[in-house]
Amino acid sequence: MPIATPPSVPEIVLFLGRFHPLLVHLPIGFLCLLGLLEALARFPRLKPLAHGRGVILGLTLAAAAFTAACGLMLAQAGGYDAALLQSHQWAGIAVAVGCLLASFTHWRGLTRAYYGSLIVTLAVLAVASHYGGSITHGRDYLTQYAPEPIRELLGEETAPAPAKVAVVEEAVVFTQVVQPILKAKCAGCHNADKLKGGLRVDTLEALLQGGQSGPVIEKGDAAKSRLVNYLHLPVTDDKHMPPAGKPQPTGDEMAVLAWWIDAGAPADKTVAELKPPARVTRALETMFGTAEPDMPPQKLADLQPGIEKLSAELSVSIAPLSQTEPWLACNASLNTNFGDAELAKLAPLKSNLRWLDLGGTKITDAGLAPVSELRNLTRLHLERTAVTDAGLACVAKLRNLEYLNLYGTATSDAGLQQLRRLAKLQKLYLWQTKVTPDAAKAFAADITDKQQLHRWRQEIEDIKAKIRTATLDINVGAQLPPAPAQVAAKPVNDKCPVTGKPVDLAKTVTHEGKVIAFCCDKCVACFQQNPKPLLAKLNLTPINAKCPVTGKDVDPAKTVSHEGKVIGFCCDKCVACFKQDPKPILTKLNLQAIATK
Amino acid sequence: MQDSSPHSFVSIPLSSLASLSRRTFLQRSAAGIGLAALHSLVGESRGALPNHTPRAKRVIYLFQSGAPSQMDLFDYKPRLQKFRAQELPDSIRMGQRITTMTSGQKSFPVAPSIFKFAQHGNSGAWLSELLPHTAEIVDDLAFIKTMHTEAINHDPAITFFQTGSQIAGRPSIGSWMAYGLGSENRDLPAYVVLTSKGTGRRDDQPLYDRLWGSGFLPTQHQGVKFRNAGDPVLYLSNPPGVDRETTREMLDDVNALNRIQHEAVGDPEIAARIAQYEMAFRMQASVPELTDISKEPQPILDLYGPEVRTPGTYAATCLLARRLAERGVRFIQLFHMGWDHHANLPKALRGQCRDTDQPTAGLIADLKQRGLLEDTLVVWGGEFGRTVYTQGTLTPENYGRDHHPRCFTIWMAGAGVRGGVSLGETDDYCYNIVRDPVHVHDLHATILHLMGVDHLKLTYKFQGRWFRLTDVAGNIITPIIA
Repeated sequence: MPIATPPSVPEIVLFLGRFHPLLVHLPIGFLCLLGLLEALARFPRLKPLAHGRGVILGLTLAAAAFTAACGLMLAQAGGYDAALLQSHQWAGIAVAVGCLLASFTHWRGLTRAYYGSLIVTLAVLAVASHYGGSITHGRDYLTQYAPEPIRELLGEETAPAPAKVAVVEEAVVFTQVVQPILKAKCAGCHNADKLKGGLRVDTLEALLQGGQSGPVIEKGDAAKSRLVNYLHLPVTDDKHMPPAGKPQPTGDEMAVLAWWIDAGAPADKTVAELKPPARVTRALETMFGTAEPDMPPQKLADLQPGIEKLSAELSVSIAPLSQTEPWLACNASLNTNFGDAELAKLAPLKSNLRWLDLGGTKITDAGLAPVSELRNLTRLHLERTAVTDAGLACVAKLRNLEYLNLYGTATSDAGLQQLRRLAKLQKLYLWQTKVTPDAAKAFAADITDKQQLHRWRQEIEDIKAKIRTATLDINVGAQLPPAPAQVAAKPVNDKCPVTGKPVDLAKTVTHEGKVIAFCCDKCVACFQQNPKPLLAKLNLTPINAKCPVTGKDVDPAKTVSHEGKVIGFCCDKCVACFKQDPKPILTKLNLQAIATK
Repeated sequence: MQDSSPHSFVSIPLSSLASLSRRTFLQRSAAGIGLAALHSLVGESRGALPNHTPRAKRVIYLFQSGAPSQMDLFDYKPRLQKFRAQELPDSIRMGQRITTMTSGQKSFPVAPSIFKFAQHGNSGAWLSELLPHTAEIVDDLAFIKTMHTEAINHDPAITFFQTGSQIAGRPSIGSWMAYGLGSENRDLPAYVVLTSKGTGRRDDQPLYDRLWGSGFLPTQHQGVKFRNAGDPVLYLSNPPGVDRETTREMLDDVNALNRIQHEAVGDPEIAARIAQYEMAFRMQASVPELTDISKEPQPILDLYGPEVRTPGTYAATCLLARRLAERGVRFIQLFHMGWDHHANLPKALRGQCRDTDQPTAGLIADLKQRGLLEDTLVVWGGEFGRTVYTQGTLTPENYGRDHHPRCFTIWMAGAGVRGGVSLGETDDYCYNIVRDPVHVHDLHATILHLMGVDHLKLTYKFQGRWFRLTDVAGNIITPIIA
């Protein structure tokens, strides 16, 4: 968890401070070297070694001074056990002072004082180093794995490691499952001495209290608990815990932690009391080493003669699932005389059986024991058999089972509970059993690893968001349809009534509903001045004799032109009717071609 | 005959020589006399199969013979209403061939479906009002809306679906499965065919037994058709005065004679004959039990609809299909006739849907509650689709549709199939494929894949060439695989 930087400390101080763990090894090395040199120089033949004393002493002094300075800067960052830090600090300063004293006495030629100060400085160095190590790695780092007598000698508490649990169900979740995980993966930095982020995980009270940025556990909701969330962040994330390079918790451990928090982070509940889902049960079994080991399949070629013999003897089909894998499928459902004795005979194939169909056979609860040995089984048909809840105890051990068919058996709600441990179960058929729909629904909800589903859904959302941010959405809007070109209405004439020249379609006049075209503006003006003689020159006889609306005779004064054709009507009303919607009338006049235009 | 030594080539009777095929003759000459071993005849299975772990152990193929209209059942085209009675645009037809039944038509007016469509299930699949029961199982189905085929007439098209070739003579898909995977049940054929007549057009189209033939594969792998009227299998019961022991003794003697002849001639057809006699003997015991539905509880019968007790109906065959599936039969194929609606489509289609909708949905539901849908692949579909333009006159209540191979809908369900998906897209006229075309070879490759068989690897050498069901094509339809 991030360390909140005290605002008063300049960043350069923190930067230089972090060189302390690097520099600290120099004065240690130099001092030890000096001590060794002096010891060896006692031998007459190695006397010349003492000549290097001055140089080494000078280096030691410089290194010790820098180290102490950096150490003081690092201490500003905070987050360390105050008492331990204090001891380390003063011991460190004492080493630096000791070096100074040794240099001074050596310079002044005070041999006895020099040797004295060197020995004292080396002793103080050991003390300072131990404190430093305790700050970094925890107080009991050195002695954690020390033999018991030594630990006793040192007065260390000798609380034995959590007792090996014989029955996983009886283990106390916090003390025997959760605490060991926290101790191994978190307590190195979050303990009474080294309160990184102000968080301690060594006691339940401290853990629930949280750190500087608030609580890390939301009782009953692991998804909202930072303790869990930070574990799941990518290792590269700044907030990921434990920091990159430190031992990381396994998937099993994370699942167990989340389950415990979801259950309300209780102090003294046992595994059985918290009803672990299948995924967690498996994790616990792995952690406690009680899980049954995997059973590698045998080579099919070795089994082949046995398969043929068994197949014939038992009248069942036994065939390889595929030629690429060593698995076998056995279908005994077609032999209705197949019973417990026959099932027992399949034992030699137990490590290779993947699918087993016992549907409709004479199998009973008592004879089902060999099934629990088929640890690689993924599909099991027990439908229409005499199997009851009692027999399901054998089935519950098949941890690779994905498909289980129990239809037409006496399975009840109670029997269902035994199947909780089937972590990989995907399909369960319970038609015509005593299981109630409600119980089945509750069981399905119960057995599901909701944590995992929730995280996967979260991941999907995250990836969707990534896709959204990584794609460029360009909006150019809809393309507007091209504006329809202004087409002049077709005139009734193609020769100018004034000059007789071909007409210009742009020079038209609408006269009493009829479009008349001319060759030039001059002629248009001429027409507008006196239309009558020019109208007489044009052929304005309508194409129809009867009004298309009423069927009465056409009034020659009530005519309009449409696409160059003159259409006659009986009255103004009919003309208006035509102008409003010409299509039906044009159709009536057999001018369909014009209408569709 | 009795004095002809089985190991002497020259003593083969002339009649046998006449029936000796050139291939058999050459094989025999090359490898010596009496080479064919009999021990592999019964319960035969290819040692090298399956190629990978199968998703499906068996197939129920509900073949809708005659070609159901995709735009009246599955492929909803609401925009077509706008184009009602208008000519099919050339830009859509693009000069594609049409059958001789409509090529003389002056005009090709668009006939939108008169049936109402609605969305169903969580998947929101569109279905016609004619399929109310199918509507309840849509989330188990994967619709392929862009099936297309190369043939435009019934026989080549159904032959293509059955054998991967339009020209008769290749082995049918069920025969390939029986040959490749064998049977789990020695007492029933690996490939069983059931037929039923529809109310749409009772006599169309005819079905020929060669559609489930074994082609060049050994004959015992051909589909065995159960009759749809009277006894499902003829002459199954022993004649009066003959008991099972007598039949057994007679068969043993006949088989012994056949073996002698087989060793002498080496014709694999004799081996097939022996296998068939044996199968028939075992079926004498297994078929009566299989077809006796008196122990089926009423609620189960009700699933399949009111016609389930009437032999020869689609409902009855659906129930039988489930019973065959339970008994480990590898490939169960139903053919329901009467989907060829060139005229009076609305009335005929209503009839066909009444025949098939409830039994189909009932079959899926029944398989599902028994856990059988997990390893049973169900395929529903015809040999091609129908045209968007009417054949004959278009009236507000009536129209007909011609053959249309360029796009049609089928669905798959069950083992390894992702339910609730719809693959592919056709254009607004339901005429051309816009996206994700699926060819008949692709369907075959997918069925084989789900059965654990690599369609490239299941081959048989005949006339100097290795043959496979998918010829030289076929891609697995991955989007519908769960």
